[in-house]
Amino acid sequence: MKVFHIDFYGHRKIFFTISLSLIAIGIIFNFIFGTQLDIQFKGGAQLKYSYSGTVDAQNVTDAVKSSTKRSDVSVTVNKNVKSADGSSAANNVTIAFTGTQNITVAQQKTIAADLNKVYPDAGFKFVSSDSIDPSMGQAFFAKCICAILLAFLFLILYVAVRFKNIGGMPAATMAIAALLHDVLMVYFVFIIFRIPLDNNFIAVVLTILGYSLNDTIVIYDRIRENRKLMGVKASYSELLNLSLNQCFSRTVYTSVTTFIAITVVFIVGQMYHLTSITSFSLPMMVGVVSGCYSTECIAGPLYVMWENHKMKKLALADGGVQAAEKLHAAPAVKAVARPADDAGKNRQGKKQTRAQRKKK
Amino acid sequence: MKRVRKPVLLVVAILILLFTFTSVWGISGRNGDNKVTYIKGVSDIRWGIDIKGGVEATFVPSTSTNVTKNQVDAAEAVIKRRLISKNIVDYEIYKDYNHKRIIVRFPWKSDEQSFNPESEINELAVTGELTFREGKEYSSTATGSDGSTIYKTPSGTTASNVILLGSDIESASSPVASQDQTTGKITYAVPLKLTSSGTKKFAEATEKLKGQTISIWMDDEMVSWPTVNSVISDGSCEIEGIESASEAAKLANTIEGGALPFKLTTDSYSAISPTLGSSSLMAMLKAGIIALILVSIMMVCIFRFPGVLIILSILGQTALTFALVSGYFPFANGFTMTLPGLAGIILSVGMGVDAGIITASRIKEELWNGKTLDSAVYKGCQDSFWAIFDGNITVMIVAILLILVFGPKNILSSIFGASTTGSIYSFGITLFAGVIGNFIMGVYAVRVMLKASTGFKCLHKPWLFGGAKK
Repeated sequence: MKVFHIDFYGHRKIFFTISLSLIAIGIIFNFIFGTQLDIQFKGGAQLKYSYSGTVDAQNVTDAVKSSTKRSDVSVTVNKNVKSADGSSAANNVTIAFTGTQNITVAQQKTIAADLNKVYPDAGFKFVSSDSIDPSMGQAFFAKCICAILLAFLFLILYVAVRFKNIGGMPAATMAIAALLHDVLMVYFVFIIFRIPLDNNFIAVVLTILGYSLNDTIVIYDRIRENRKLMGVKASYSELLNLSLNQCFSRTVYTSVTTFIAITVVFIVGQMYHLTSITSFSLPMMVGVVSGCYSTECIAGPLYVMWENHKMKKLALADGGVQAAEKLHAAPAVKAVARPADDAGKNRQGKKQTRAQRKKK
Repeated sequence: MKRVRKPVLLVVAILILLFTFTSVWGISGRNGDNKVTYIKGVSDIRWGIDIKGGVEATFVPSTSTNVTKNQVDAAEAVIKRRLISKNIVDYEIYKDYNHKRIIVRFPWKSDEQSFNPESEINELAVTGELTFREGKEYSSTATGSDGSTIYKTPSGTTASNVILLGSDIESASSPVASQDQTTGKITYAVPLKLTSSGTKKFAEATEKLKGQTISIWMDDEMVSWPTVNSVISDGSCEIEGIESASEAAKLANTIEGGALPFKLTTDSYSAISPTLGSSSLMAMLKAGIIALILVSIMMVCIFRFPGVLIILSILGQTALTFALVSGYFPFANGFTMTLPGLAGIILSVGMGVDAGIITASRIKEELWNGKTLDSAVYKGCQDSFWAIFDGNITVMIVAILLILVFGPKNILSSIFGASTTGSIYSFGITLFAGVIGNFIMGVYAVRVMLKASTGFKCLHKPWLFGGAKK
């Protein structure tokens, strides 16, 4: 079996640089493209009809403009959209109102009538329509954001409680830092691919929250276990590197499996022009990769830095250089799991931890 | 180390397969011409309007004057009545008193041909026209959903002589109960108050029609046909002799609804044609099957025998989710399934695969550390448990939060108002069901089967569990 010896902690600066530059690129794109909200969140309207023969997007735009007396009309034509349920391919025309004002049912009726007047032979058939009042959209958006924040809060609390013996709050805070990293990456995918934020965005963010935190928890669980095996003598960086390497194959297998499954969904969605599916699966693909990366390369090293910092402060406060020295003299990474047979040593280790905690 | 006996492997595997089979195809029989469903399968799942196609609309009063709670109730009653008379029974309707909104969601009828959301919405939102007419002549009848006869379309003098309009009625109060002194029978009456012009018109009409019938019509439907007992000149009267309280309340709501001071306008709406919806469903199904095959191949290649058990557990877990959504279990009613709901299944299956991978990797690790097969399996199962537990609990926290925030409970509604966000709610439901399924299948069943399999001689080879070839 392959045993990994990757020095995740040692290379942390490289990882931090990669993440920070990705975030910087994302922010630049965000600055250029702006954030698009779907009509679900900002209000507005969109209509979709299928037709046969040919229509000209400009003609349709003019017809809609004159029938609604609105100038914010944008029309896109998709030809030969296959249907996954076996019915014959059709051409679609999408009429979007770029402003935030919704349209009325009566307006939709006149639009349909006018389109049929301009192209009597095209046989326009209704596919879908959305018209959302701006105030309702905004309330829904606020509610979604609120739900995400609540999720963050509960997850932090859970991790802090479950991992309190390896330093609950630092562990939880750094897990959340990794989650924020992943949420940002997902957000940037929406920005860069110009996908308007809709309830798919909320679903993806929540999915990635759960997924990425699961990754991080698997690592913390291993650290917790290794701490018991190795006692307090082991330095945090040693613990982290050992745990990450032990879990490395699992992390890769899981991420690859999930990634493949989501990619299949994306490809199939793309084949049939189902934007509701592709706008969900594409950010998910990125989120899965980011979730895996942020656990290994961001949350872990940050957590060790925090703990080391705490220990250094502790050592200085004690006036002893011993602890600090021990930190620096920590042996190089050894990715050998020590058998758990030495129960006596274990108990001793626990005692020491307790003693140390008292000292604090 | 508690041993698990050999036969458990086969028993659990067969149970999972059996459960998967029945929850996907269901069990139904034929009773003459009727299909009788004993156990619900995937085809019995109630699909959301994003899959089946349908209409969602939010109605608000178009006036800015204060709208009371009762008036919102009355408007809801009108919309419900119209939906039922259009033969749409599987609608969902929500009202929001704070924001004065009524939200309706309904799928297309199965025999719908034209898919015209504009007219569907207009028919629901058109101001309810309440009329009091002379006589009770009608030209057609229909059968309502409760089996009673509905009289439709006025004719003759009933059609030509309209006595009162909805606008002539100021209010209809809550029904008043009264007991007949001699028979002891309880009947209900709906008190009405008329406007000044209404009072005048009604006084003239009741004088002319004393002892005859005045029928009350809602749009095209006759809802009541009381007999005029006396001349009513003071503008307040009662419709008496109604036999049940619910019927009386319905009548009061209807009259109040017809007399609504506000017109309903459609604030927001969305509609989706069934073709787009079914295309999405088929695409998800195809993607699901391809993904399942790819994942299965990967699992068997990487983990060998435990990989097979992982596939079994995924099947069981997915089946359990479908079972909860379709209403397979008699205690669960079933939920509406939407596209994000399907995404929730994908995510929870991912979690299930992960649970299997964590366990199998641990066993592999122990084997390469030189453990015997038995102790590697037992130790691997034991050591991997808490990581899986914590990971799943966090996903469950998210799922419960989604169910509470976006479901019927709607814990944030006091701040943000009611909204029909059924699609995210469905995501929470399938995620929740998936986590439960993961504990039963991915954690419990897989472990039991792994442990039981060590008892078989033919399976007792470290290589099969990811160990060295020897």
